[in-house]
Amino acid sequence: MADEEPVDQKKYLEEGCKPKCVKQLRAYEACVKRIEGDESGHKHCTGQYFDYWACIDKCCTDSILEIEIIEGQCCVTLASCGAVLS
Amino acid sequence: MIRIRRGHQVYQQVCASCHSMSLISFRDLVGVAYTEEETKTMAAEIEVVDGPNDEGEMFTRPGKLSDRFPQPYANEAAARFANGGAYPPDLSLITKARHNGQNYVFALLTGYHDPPAGVTIREGLHYNPYFPGGAIAMPKMLIDGALEYEDGTPATEAQMGKDVVTFLSWAAEPEMEERKLMGFKWIFLLSLALLQAAYYRRLRWSVLKSRRLVLDVVN
Repeated sequence: MADEEPVDQKKYLEEGCKPKCVKQLRAYEACVKRIEGDESGHKHCTGQYFDYWACIDKCCTDSILEIEIIEGQCCVTLASCGAVLS
Repeated sequence: MIRIRRGHQVYQQVCASCHSMSLISFRDLVGVAYTEEETKTMAAEIEVVDGPNDEGEMFTRPGKLSDRFPQPYANEAAARFANGGAYPPDLSLITKARHNGQNYVFALLTGYHDPPAGVTIREGLHYNPYFPGGAIAMPKMLIDGALEYEDGTPATEAQMGKDVVTFLSWAAEPEMEERKLMGFKWIFLLSLALLQAAYYRRLRWSVLKSRRLVLDVVN
């Protein structure tokens, strides 16, 4: 393999999906700001956090399906493609 | 097949130190992940307690194909003690034992993220959004380059995750492909038989169904 440092496929997809989930990310950041000064320990942003990651996960699975359909022919030659899709 | 082989390598090198797979034997791997020779060599590397011998004593011998996968801990109490009270579950049926098992295990293994704002996890636990409750005792085990695959495939997190989930799915349901082929075949044949039976029933009953009964006065 030519790759000395293989790029993790899942992280690559997640990076690509971040622009699609900006709305959830902003909501999460707004929540973080809201609870900034809280000392009671009861406030948290798990809801917005889950919304954001659910959006990322959904976008990743859609991307994987797209990649599989488009690159179905080249799996034989592209080693990195074959690693995830074979 | 090759993916099951890689998955087994991931299991052996990363997971087997804490997780048992006590329902799988070495012979199950033959023809699926490894050849018989390779499996025999692999089995022979472990020591198994057997006995009693003629003198009534237990003895240890190298493993055979018929032996189960070795257990990392002698019993649940030992496992809990070594892992801060948490019991690493046996993985033989894990993809069947969790809802949406295959996706759940992959998401769990590759989904370690920082906790959201406001959530603190105590010392000894780790945050994982996919684990019920969020706080899991297992640290992130799948790290890029954590192991070297025999066949040279780059060992990224997603690659290892997918391979090990394939292996665990096979371990839980080795008969899955044959079962589904049988299912397709018999559902198709039985549907044809159903159509034929329905036609034949209606044919035979048509005599009665097309009867006319007349109620009339008797003169």
